[in-house]
Amino acid sequence: MTSRRYDAIIIGGGHNGLVTAAYLARAGRKTLVLEKRPLVGGAAVTEEVFPGFKFSVFSYVVSLLRPEIIRDLDLPRHGLQILPLESTVTPMENGDYLGSWADPDESRRELRRHSPRDAEAVVLFGRLMQQMAMAVKPILGMLPPDPASLAPSDLAGMLKLGGHMRSLGAERFHALFKLMTMSSSDYLDEWFEFGPLKATKSASGIIGTFLGPRSPGTAYVLLHHYMGEIDGAFRAWGFQKGGTGAISNTIANAARALGAEIRTDAGVERVLVKDGKATGVALESGEEIQAPIVASCLDPRRTFLQLVDEKQLPGDLVEGIKRYKFRGSSGKVNLALDGLPDLTCLPGYGPHLRGAISISPSVDYLERAYDDAKYGEFSRNPYMDIVIPSMIDPGMAPPGKHVMSIFVQYAPYHLNGGWTDAKREAFGDAVVDTLARFAPNIKSRILHRQVLSPFDVERITGLTEGNIFAGELALHQLFFLRPVPQWAKYRTPIRGYWQCGAGTHPGGGIMGASGRMAALEILKGA
Amino acid sequence: MSASFDVIVIGGGTNGLVAATVLARRGRRVLLLERGPQVGGEARPMEFAPGFRAAPCSLDPGWLPAAVASALGITLPDFEAGTVSTGVALGGGEFLTLDSAPAAAAGAIRRFDARDAERWPAFAARLRKLAGFMEALYVLPPPDIDTTSPGEVFPLLGLGRKFRALGREDMIELLRVLPMAVQDLADDWFTSAPLRAAIAAAGVQDIRQGPRSAGTSFVLLHHLTGAAPGAVRRSGWWREGPDALVRVLEGAATAAGVTVRTGTAVAGIAVRDDAVCGVVLASGEEIGATAVLSTLDPVRTLRLVDPVWIGPEALHAFGNIKFRGARATVCYGLESDPGIPGSEAVVSMTGNPVALERAFDAAKYGAVSERPHVTVTVPSRRWPGLAPAGQHVLVAHVQCAPYALRNGTWGAATSGALADAATRMIDEAAPGFAARVKHRVTLSPADLEARYGLTEGSVAHGELTLDQVLFMRPVPGYGRYRMPVAGLYLGGAGAHPGPGILGGPAWLAARALLADGKGK
Repeated sequence: MTSRRYDAIIIGGGHNGLVTAAYLARAGRKTLVLEKRPLVGGAAVTEEVFPGFKFSVFSYVVSLLRPEIIRDLDLPRHGLQILPLESTVTPMENGDYLGSWADPDESRRELRRHSPRDAEAVVLFGRLMQQMAMAVKPILGMLPPDPASLAPSDLAGMLKLGGHMRSLGAERFHALFKLMTMSSSDYLDEWFEFGPLKATKSASGIIGTFLGPRSPGTAYVLLHHYMGEIDGAFRAWGFQKGGTGAISNTIANAARALGAEIRTDAGVERVLVKDGKATGVALESGEEIQAPIVASCLDPRRTFLQLVDEKQLPGDLVEGIKRYKFRGSSGKVNLALDGLPDLTCLPGYGPHLRGAISISPSVDYLERAYDDAKYGEFSRNPYMDIVIPSMIDPGMAPPGKHVMSIFVQYAPYHLNGGWTDAKREAFGDAVVDTLARFAPNIKSRILHRQVLSPFDVERITGLTEGNIFAGELALHQLFFLRPVPQWAKYRTPIRGYWQCGAGTHPGGGIMGASGRMAALEILKGA
Repeated sequence: MSASFDVIVIGGGTNGLVAATVLARRGRRVLLLERGPQVGGEARPMEFAPGFRAAPCSLDPGWLPAAVASALGITLPDFEAGTVSTGVALGGGEFLTLDSAPAAAAGAIRRFDARDAERWPAFAARLRKLAGFMEALYVLPPPDIDTTSPGEVFPLLGLGRKFRALGREDMIELLRVLPMAVQDLADDWFTSAPLRAAIAAAGVQDIRQGPRSAGTSFVLLHHLTGAAPGAVRRSGWWREGPDALVRVLEGAATAAGVTVRTGTAVAGIAVRDDAVCGVVLASGEEIGATAVLSTLDPVRTLRLVDPVWIGPEALHAFGNIKFRGARATVCYGLESDPGIPGSEAVVSMTGNPVALERAFDAAKYGAVSERPHVTVTVPSRRWPGLAPAGQHVLVAHVQCAPYALRNGTWGAATSGALADAATRMIDEAAPGFAARVKHRVTLSPADLEARYGLTEGSVAHGELTLDQVLFMRPVPGYGRYRMPVAGLYLGGAGAHPGPGILGGPAWLAARALLADGKGK
């Protein structure tokens, strides 16, 4: 049993782990990434599930990837090429639609035909959300200070945070406070009147959460999704050429170019600990590899309760991790199509097919979808965010054919009776039936279908309970509380054992921020 | 203009009496105006059927902070704490009764789950600690981001010290718990369903959100301020009667020299040169004053001012206040005691967390719950005089009954259907209840609005959600008692610290008025 020595081992080849590896390698550390599956990326993977058809299996769009990471790792040189999503169309129940286009004037004209008042308000709203995104941005890159600690670095951090809040001025601070505490529906009600507009914007407040648009706390998630930047423009979402797996590969390429080693089909069983210090890992195969630094990119439950023996951890940490909420609520349906969908509201071919189609006709529609999930069922009439990647990147499908990615809320992990094969298919049927109401030709176009419940997401990627953010983005488990109080700075009680996944600040989305901050902390300490 | 005063206080309820007395004791000439025939407002019981009386707005006694009592120079009337904190129905006449004393409560819980019983005292102690910090927070004006004046910063430092005195674990726990859903809090600690439902019910008092909503733990802690150690819900009563406190406050106001005029409605607040100069009564009479302190809700208060004096942003912000009264009260006159254990305190009829959450779904769509969440108290157990000999009064708070119905309006039919549903829920919990009912009077949110001047029937003067508390209450930028017109102050429940804190907002508003040097 060979045991080669590395300076650092990263458990999990998800994008955060790859980012950590790249930064450590860049600083001259001999770094090894160990990935259980045959390919890196975690939930950001492209797979040819059916011959000729490439699916962004799980996550499907990007916007939140930190600009400093793109710069520091020179990702464009390694293949990063994000093509903007240029529109969102919301089909309405009455056969009409609401469109939102890349050109702001066109968007305002379109909105004006539904509500002149909202067409004016949307400009001010956009400006405010930009200001809010600017206000929150520094916090994304901040090491969360512990408010209960008297250590100089924490006090300095609290002062910095306090100073930052005061610099916003009362008006913007209050606006931020509202965004942190309100429901997305209430927040939007203060600005807009047109139902489908409110619903479509609200929808970004429920992505990946076990909350409805009327639940307090969803306005924050709305802001979280507004913080995306592409080429300096906030709120722009884009599609990576080759699917989201290509993003992971880009980061992996950068890491390798910097000297990191990546091994796939190398699942880690546990971290080796001696006298309270990490000394390496043991693979599922039995092989042991030594390193004084081990960083887990896996979610907090796996990091603390699976990879190490909980007896080596303080009782309150274990209790806190057991309390940490996942509650996966998202499903995914990927379709291989023999042609394009024909939307009743916008018949035929058009630029709208290169953007997103949002099945969110009203806030009530979304809220009722949530009600189903609250009581343990998947939504009979789900929210759906649909993109056709082959329209932007023809290489994703054979000529004349297409791939369709459908992200769905809600599909609760804890389903009454469990996620049997029959239930999974019934869920897939509910999704397709719903789409068929707005695009009746869809069923005749489907060549193949892949349906993923949160149970499948967990089984394949390891994300506990299929929560796409490695833990709910709820106020009581964010910032200095993520994943648990006192252990929110990427460290663990075991010396040399670190957390670098999205179960730390600032949370999930393809950001890479957790991976980078963890690397910087490791480099500070080691 | 008739004889002028230094300060006019609008509204003769608990807050109005407190504000007027505090100001008069500091030498101001104060006029208190009350539109009803007597002062006391919600604290005065109403005779809802011949011989049967009840106060429909609040089930628990509220908390009168010691600082407020001392500012009034009063001796509080005798208070009976009782032994029970709350109870919850298990169905079929069985109840889980939670004593304030943790050991006794644990004994009752042991029937269901030994581990829950073991954990109970620590949970109750944790709640007490957190509520204790809220109490310290509630006797100060709310800190805001731009607080710089020494007079405000110094007490905040004291608050900071109290925060640190919680100790590291409880400091973090407070920050962690405040935004949580109360159901998550209950589920983190306990496994037995009725216990979790009892705790969750304490977090959804008078709001339109179910127990799985963020911010409901805050509501539980808010309403726990001033409660006995070991309690999960406030309980107790003034021995002399439901209006014992009001009578003491009335006496204090008179002793301080406050001029009280009842049967006097205010039609408008007069403004000259961007500052308040008095009020105009419904009769047309004008009374001068250099400051006005209103204990009406924020929207009713602002409505008394000509909009030309209020900026468009302020008008827009006040227009966005979420009132969302979603609770109806049903007063029952009963021929005998329905035998609900602990009903001298507040008892929840919903013994199951899923049923509790479901009861709040309909309100999201503008409908009344078919199986509402009902909490009850039998005030005649505390004060037998509320009903004829041997007979009893039961007051039920029914959620959700949203003010704004999508189909239909509040009237006899909708109120009747709601009361039928409430009766059914109580009868399921305490079989035989329905048979004892002699009289039944329903106050829908529309009725509460009409009778007590509560916008949308919101007894809280604005829903107690995380974005409408502290410096955000009633609206951001106007969270410290000073309204958009100079000389106008807000001292009702629509200001910090909010509902159930007797005299709290009024005392702090009066202090703000005095600190500004107004009303001289």
